[in-house]
Amino acid sequence: MSMHAGSSVLEPELTVEEKTSTRAGWARRTGIDRFSGLYVWAGLVILFGLWVPDTFLTVSNARIIAGDTAIAAMLAMALILPLAAGVFDLSIAANMGLSVVTVVLLISHGHSVPLAMLAGVTVGLGVGLLNAVIVDRLQVDSFIGTLGMSSVVASATYWVVDGSQIYLVGEPGFQDFAAKQVLGLPLSFFYMLLLALVLWYVLEFTPVGRRVYAVGGNPQAARLAGVSVRKVVFLSMLLTGLLAGIVGTILASKLGTANTSVGPSYLLPAFSAVFLGATQVLPGRFNVPGTLVAIIMLSTGVKGLQLAGAPLYVNDLFNGGALIIAVALAARSTRKQT
Amino acid sequence: MTPVLSIRNLSKTFGGTRALSNVDLDLEPGTIRAVVGQNGCGKSTLIKVLAGYYQPDADASVTVGGQPLHLGHPGAGEQAGIRFVHQDLGLVSTLDTVDNLALGRGYEHTSGGRIHWRAEAQSARTALADLGYQLDVRRPVGQLSISERTAVAVARAVSTHRIATQVLVLDEPTANLPASEAERLFDLVRRVRDTGIAVLFVSHHVDEVFAVSESVTVLRDGRHIHTGPTIGLDEDRLVELMIGKSLAAEPANHRSMARSEVVLVAREVSAPALTSFDLDLRAGEVVGVAGITGSGRESVAMALFGGVSRGGTVAVNGRTIPSQRPDRAMAVGIGLVPAERHANAALDAHTLSQNITVTDPGRSFVRGVLRRRSERSDVCQWLHRLHVTPSDPDAAMATLSGGNQQKVILARWLRMEPKVLLLDEPTQGVDIGAKTELQRLIAEAAVQGTAVLIVSSDSGELARLCSRVLVLRSGVVAEELSGDRIDADTITAATLGSGRRANLT
Repeated sequence: MSMHAGSSVLEPELTVEEKTSTRAGWARRTGIDRFSGLYVWAGLVILFGLWVPDTFLTVSNARIIAGDTAIAAMLAMALILPLAAGVFDLSIAANMGLSVVTVVLLISHGHSVPLAMLAGVTVGLGVGLLNAVIVDRLQVDSFIGTLGMSSVVASATYWVVDGSQIYLVGEPGFQDFAAKQVLGLPLSFFYMLLLALVLWYVLEFTPVGRRVYAVGGNPQAARLAGVSVRKVVFLSMLLTGLLAGIVGTILASKLGTANTSVGPSYLLPAFSAVFLGATQVLPGRFNVPGTLVAIIMLSTGVKGLQLAGAPLYVNDLFNGGALIIAVALAARSTRKQT
Repeated sequence: MTPVLSIRNLSKTFGGTRALSNVDLDLEPGTIRAVVGQNGCGKSTLIKVLAGYYQPDADASVTVGGQPLHLGHPGAGEQAGIRFVHQDLGLVSTLDTVDNLALGRGYEHTSGGRIHWRAEAQSARTALADLGYQLDVRRPVGQLSISERTAVAVARAVSTHRIATQVLVLDEPTANLPASEAERLFDLVRRVRDTGIAVLFVSHHVDEVFAVSESVTVLRDGRHIHTGPTIGLDEDRLVELMIGKSLAAEPANHRSMARSEVVLVAREVSAPALTSFDLDLRAGEVVGVAGITGSGRESVAMALFGGVSRGGTVAVNGRTIPSQRPDRAMAVGIGLVPAERHANAALDAHTLSQNITVTDPGRSFVRGVLRRRSERSDVCQWLHRLHVTPSDPDAAMATLSGGNQQKVILARWLRMEPKVLLLDEPTQGVDIGAKTELQRLIAEAAVQGTAVLIVSSDSGELARLCSRVLVLRSGVVAEELSGDRIDADTITAATLGSGRRANLT
């Protein structure tokens, strides 16, 4: 605490001219502090454009990136809510996976598509409700509670499909739900945009968003300022589960197949995107536009490396590295600020 | 006597701003020197230079015991025999005294490598006894009182290292200490001095300077203003030196409010350490709550607000409010500025704007969108009214000084136009300029009809602001002071019990 006092009291004495003449001012004008992800992204585009121009710099590649990214981006959006409120949901990807197998299994057993989709969403909501009860009512730390939950959900997924791969045959209507091309892009991309827009609005332009961030910032202070901390935490866990169910349903439509491993592989990319996103656009907090910038950058990097001939495991390497770098960057900017 | 610590021409520049300029300081062994100044005067920078945390500007020199100090190297100060006890003490609260003392220097062990617990415990007891404390050295320090913890931290600092301690730097050691325990700490400091160690006592409490120091150095805006013996100075003169101008006389607020309506009624309110608390609070009056640590004082404001589980009833204008529902308390018009700002009130990483509007973020929510411009002008108005610096609504809370942060928290609640304002240690840990301003704002709120309750361990503050003062002893209101009986000494005496008070009157 006392370590900060020296620099903090100096801050107001700097005049505006002095501020803009410093290096921080230069960074602010060029936007490199808030939009560094876009600069890195442009660098990646140029790099891979020179490296593998024939396959990378094509319209179809841009479309593939946009389509592939949609699911990971939606899951990342769903993750922003609990993280902004200061709680983890480590079960989010497993939850999505359970929703995927539920939808595919029901359709393959001859149930109607709307019923299957409703079931997929309900499964997500149910897991969200369990998480909310565990964290809010049972007072289990969210990190541990949802870590346990992810294991429970993963085993439930295994039990549902009995460990096997299941396929959808002859359900073009359902597959169109996510994959139908509009303006050259799959529908799932537009769902992602819609979700981003709604979440951005709620977090940035409504009192609800302010309360969520206040809870994430200091729950005790928020509570004593009249914010219903328990309600915020409960609802954010619940909503995240619901969103995981919706994204799972969309993913089921996109894949047309399901197995036990489809969900968990999305966990790390989602976390990478949200944490990297917290250093972008509205730095210092988990935010929607920053997460979008982060995910564009990450997926461009991964795709470029794949096209350049890198093996598949580079995907995990890239996302894991990005997560660590993101948190390190955030810690560094916090040190500078205070 | 040759000085043990000698600072020459010390300057430190951050960016374009000088935090310290050309400071000289000499400190003789076996003396207590107070270093005082408002927040931002350069005290912390000075300490961090001594610790080696900051590299000062060129041309500065510091010698310890005649040897030049290697400036700008973390740990160099420790190596030279300077020890630091910071405000947060740096103890591990789950470990006991023995373990905390061993943290810096390691354990004594037997030839087999086993820790020699009995010898360790004995030396811990001796170290604390030397400082005037007898305590169970095997209890986790988190269970000790604040002054006992301070003693453990000091014991660790001065206990024999490989390099003998020459200078002890105490950085705001009394900031979290109730007045009654501060005297014990002063005694401890004198004992340290008597061993020949030079003590640098950094503080912004004027009364402590007179209580403990032999000489005093005043810093202002990074400059050395004055050094001289404490004897011969008085409080007013010292404050003048610290703030650079004389204090305007503050309006006393001893108006009786017997005729205004009762706003808040509390009956048999109980909470940790508080057995039963009754209160009728009238519009426009300022009522104080005094008491020593453990008398229930710390629980009063939080219990009335319902921030903790409590018994009894609290009602505002006839509407009772449930326990543990701050939102309901707010709905009937209660506001709470809690103690311990960092834990209970501040959103450190958030902007001032978000800190102020958190109690009612919906005010600028028009037709489905938060209107940034109207929110900004709303917030700016409050920042200006309370003279917050910087007055930039987008500044991060953590970049402000303690006094300014406290003003932001007060603004958060004044903006709600509360009928009842509960203030728990509203000026604790803020500098004297901000303190005066905060007290003025509190008095203003009362003039405008707000019923104000101030819980404070600062009797002078209560005497200045309150028209009556409730004195807590052992969890109940033992006495109510009003009218002529309100002065700092009487309040302090009353908190200590009837025996002591009899001597005074």
